[in-house]
Amino acid sequence: MAEHTVCKAEELPEGSSRIVEVDGLEIGVFNCGGELLAIEDRCSHDDGPLAEGEFDAAACTVECPRHGSLFDLRSGRPKTLPAFAPVDTFDVRVEDGEIKLEVD
Amino acid sequence: MNPPPETATLDPKIAEREAIKDINQDYKAKFGFNDPETGYVFKAPKGLSRQLVEDISEYKNEPQWMREFRLKALDHFLSRPVPQWGADLNQIDFDNIHYFVRASERAETSWDDVPDDIKNTFDKLGIPEAERQFLSGVGAQYESEVVYHQVNEKLEAQGVKFMDMDTALREHEDVIREHFATVIPANDNMLAALNSAVWSGGSFVYVPPGVKVEMPLQAYFRINTENMGQFERTLIIADEGSDVHYIEGCTAPVYSTDSLHSAVVELIARPGARIRYTTVQNWSQNVFNLVTKRATADADATVEWVDCNLGSKVTMKYPSIYLMGERAHGEILSIAFAGNGQHQDAGGKIIHAAPKTTSSIFAKSISQNGGRSTYRGLLEVAKGATEARSKVVCDALLLDPESRSDTYPTIRIDESDANVGHEASVSKIGEEQLFYLQTHGLDEEEASKMIVNGFIEPVVKELPMEYAVELNRLIELQMEGSIG
Repeated sequence: MAEHTVCKAEELPEGSSRIVEVDGLEIGVFNCGGELLAIEDRCSHDDGPLAEGEFDAAACTVECPRHGSLFDLRSGRPKTLPAFAPVDTFDVRVEDGEIKLEVD
Repeated sequence: MNPPPETATLDPKIAEREAIKDINQDYKAKFGFNDPETGYVFKAPKGLSRQLVEDISEYKNEPQWMREFRLKALDHFLSRPVPQWGADLNQIDFDNIHYFVRASERAETSWDDVPDDIKNTFDKLGIPEAERQFLSGVGAQYESEVVYHQVNEKLEAQGVKFMDMDTALREHEDVIREHFATVIPANDNMLAALNSAVWSGGSFVYVPPGVKVEMPLQAYFRINTENMGQFERTLIIADEGSDVHYIEGCTAPVYSTDSLHSAVVELIARPGARIRYTTVQNWSQNVFNLVTKRATADADATVEWVDCNLGSKVTMKYPSIYLMGERAHGEILSIAFAGNGQHQDAGGKIIHAAPKTTSSIFAKSISQNGGRSTYRGLLEVAKGATEARSKVVCDALLLDPESRSDTYPTIRIDESDANVGHEASVSKIGEEQLFYLQTHGLDEEEASKMIVNGFIEPVVKELPMEYAVELNRLIELQMEGSIG
């Protein structure tokens, strides 16, 4: 288990997201109305980038920019086809004013 | 789909003569006539714009979320390049298309109330007659909207919903909002994005749990205007343990410039349900037919696509089935007939996403007079879909040296215990076969027709009898005069 500092908490306000790289793995970190969530930045449909897609903070979803699959950020599960397999999710928390990401 | 004439009560010899007489009519006379546009309620000028999309939504008095969905889809469409694989789509002039044409005020429930010109068209195509004889319900779309819709009273009493999509959005907004574009998102591909931006018409079907719809539901799509774009949207939900067969047919007038048909069809089969979706596509040879069809099947559900492509200039269509629940079953039966100037790029996709799922794809293509047919298919067994079984068979028949057939089968397997078979064949019509049949008194043309009919028979026998007869007649019509 490796811990990674994403940024200061105030640098990721509600409704915003950013992509970080941890040991070669791209991870999208999202702030859904104060709830911090993280998923692998790779669509399970065709391995394209995912986290740069349209982020809906109210619904807590991100839409794959390549073919439109909508992913639930809490579970990593797709809510629409063409993706059907979930993507990996990661624990995120705020510690000492910094956002920390745990990666297996 | 043009149902056959009533033959049951006729002397068989007279019936045969009648049928042969009918076959000798060419497409233009039988399906390719056009009606005057007098009495049209609205015809958008050619071209696609944000204003047009807003106008369509406004015109239909849609909820705000649908308007936003359309506008977002338009952005997706405009940001996507024209696909450079498959058939040549670079020839489509997207600025030279009427994206929305309203021919009548509303969808009527009595043929008597449908405007005369339109009613005459559907009379010629035999739709009201077919409804009386062997259908549970009919929807008839003319240009952008449905002009007639009726469902059998008994089915209505059982809770079966069968209506045009515009009406469904008004009357069942919650259901539509929950399911619309969940099987095919707006950004799935360029043509799905275009459809999502300017969709109009199409069918909504809901079958309640346990209800078996005995006779098929049918939708008939007719393009009349030159340079028309038809973008219907169909959603079928078969609830747990229910059963429904939906049939669609389509024709258009013969024009010298191109029209575009780009539908989106989403099927949802709940646990134990069965949906069969049959298409007899007979567009005139100036229509680009670019359709996205996809189904999802829950545990123990069955989805079957029976896809017959005879007409159009270019067809690109690969009905797909996602087998999402254990023991779900998917079947794709596909026939493509490519004549002079036609490219039928068809096939199917099946994705096994759960254990013990089974599937089959049977694709048959025929090319003649320089026509080109392509089989393009995907079979995927995803990780976790253990004990999956599938069989893919694609056969191509070439009737002359000028014609072309290509096969692009893709198979991806991520489970070691999957049982997958793939067979493919390409054959020329054999001189020996022709000679043999000619020694039995058939001329060359009759012999060729017989060989083609035998070739497609495994698919045709899956159609209801009335449609099987019609499909054979359409193929004979295509082959008429093709020899010598």
